[in-house]
Amino acid sequence: MSTTDDRVARPATGAAPSPATAEAAAPQAGAQGAARRRRLRPGQVALAVALPLIAIALWQVAVWVFAPREWILPSPVDVARAGWDARDRLWFHMQWTILIAVIGLALAIAIGSALAYLIARSRIARLAVYPWIIVSQVIPLVALAPLLVLWFPPFVAILVLAVLMSIFPVVVAGVDGLRGTDRDLVRAARGLGASDSWTWHHVRVPAALPRLFTGMRLAAVFVVSGAVVGELVASERGLGALTRLTAGQFETAITFAAVVLLGLIGLGLFGLIALAERIALPWTRRATRRGA
Amino acid sequence: MPAKGVDVPHGHDIRVSALRLALGDDPPVPVLDGVDFVARAGEATAIIGPSGCGKSTLLDVLAGLATADSGHADPGGPVALMPQGDALMPWLTLRENIAMGARLAGAPAAEAAGRADTAITALGLGGFGDHYPHALSGGMRQRAALARTMLAGRPTWLLDEPFGALDALTRAGMHDVLRDLRATERATILLVTHDVSEAAALCDRILVASPRPMRIVDDIRVRGGDRAAAVDAVMASLRAAGALA
Repeated sequence: MSTTDDRVARPATGAAPSPATAEAAAPQAGAQGAARRRRLRPGQVALAVALPLIAIALWQVAVWVFAPREWILPSPVDVARAGWDARDRLWFHMQWTILIAVIGLALAIAIGSALAYLIARSRIARLAVYPWIIVSQVIPLVALAPLLVLWFPPFVAILVLAVLMSIFPVVVAGVDGLRGTDRDLVRAARGLGASDSWTWHHVRVPAALPRLFTGMRLAAVFVVSGAVVGELVASERGLGALTRLTAGQFETAITFAAVVLLGLIGLGLFGLIALAERIALPWTRRATRRGA
Repeated sequence: MPAKGVDVPHGHDIRVSALRLALGDDPPVPVLDGVDFVARAGEATAIIGPSGCGKSTLLDVLAGLATADSGHADPGGPVALMPQGDALMPWLTLRENIAMGARLAGAPAAEAAGRADTAITALGLGGFGDHYPHALSGGMRQRAALARTMLAGRPTWLLDEPFGALDALTRAGMHDVLRDLRATERATILLVTHDVSEAAALCDRILVASPRPMRIVDDIRVRGGDRAAAVDAVMASLRAAGALA
């Protein structure tokens, strides 16, 4: 039975043997080796699972040994129990945070990519817009949040905070990707008569996508922070708001559970972007054939 | 292997006279210093000179990618430039990369793909059309880059050290491919290289370039396939121009 890696070592099905077959064997063997190296060994999987378990176990042991008050430091077991008991409440708030994070991330990617294109392509935009985007990151969002709440309805204010928090890596990665295209690729296209516009759309943009996805992965993490800052300041709903409420009422175990869920939301969004990258950019993987 | 069905129009003379170009501003560094030569239509002409002497810049001027400060550079018509290395687009399959040449020549997508398939077969790349460049060997990628240049349908090919990154065996194979193409196509070829034996093996004439700023210091014809004599003459010229360490 052929595996994906087996298939890549041969020309497409039905093709006549060609002199190139043997020549291709060496790099393809290299690709197979790389694929083998990328596969996780059982020991690596065990380590990846064991490390967080060890951390949780140490936390549990510390609570047993030092016996702090539960409202100061609940044990992992207390957190799990409180989270399960408050699952409806957590889910109610979690939906809101997920909604804000997903819409915020989509807007950050759309607006950030458009800004990156504009900044990379236009010197005027580079001089007029880019510095403001950088300055926007220097101002702490917590300081900006009350102003946004004054100006906008709460949902919009939180969304703006989430977008502001996550747009920066998209813009910076996009600009770097578009302006850092391999000179030989541009020269190859222009040398065959491609116009500047054709070169931008068929060479610079696809060449920038891997870096843009890196920015998008960072944005997926930052957008959750932005949403939480907004919820802390301007909302009665969302996991950010829940942490404020529960911490104030010394329901520390639920606060911990909310924080864990926030981490899981960030991890999930990060994974979604990584999956989208895998689907959209098959050529960055070591599969050698389209669809392989 | 000739690429049947690939119709490359007749080439034209390439005429370059008193070409001067300096790069940078503080202070400007002269790169081309009165370059003069004529490369005849249908011939393969090599420009050989030390690394960094300005050969690639000359090709950029001929391809319209750089503007000279003074002088005249007339490629005689549209040119297709093949840069150093293969410069294949990593996000395109081999077929799409080759078809890119035809697409830029104005062919519809289906026709471009058909012409790419013809070239793929002719160049011994059969069965690898759907592979991405990173999965292929250097020689295969180089053949694809040559096919892409060919399908651009331009009468003049500017080849910028196209085989410089290949190992000796693969390079020898690529020389055969280019020789076969020359036997069937009518393109004018200007080949930049720093490999004297490659220039003598592939070209009718060899122009010897000085170290930067570049001038053409000798014009050597490879007569009757006497490559050894041509190599000796080129080495003597390079030595006289101070281009050999």
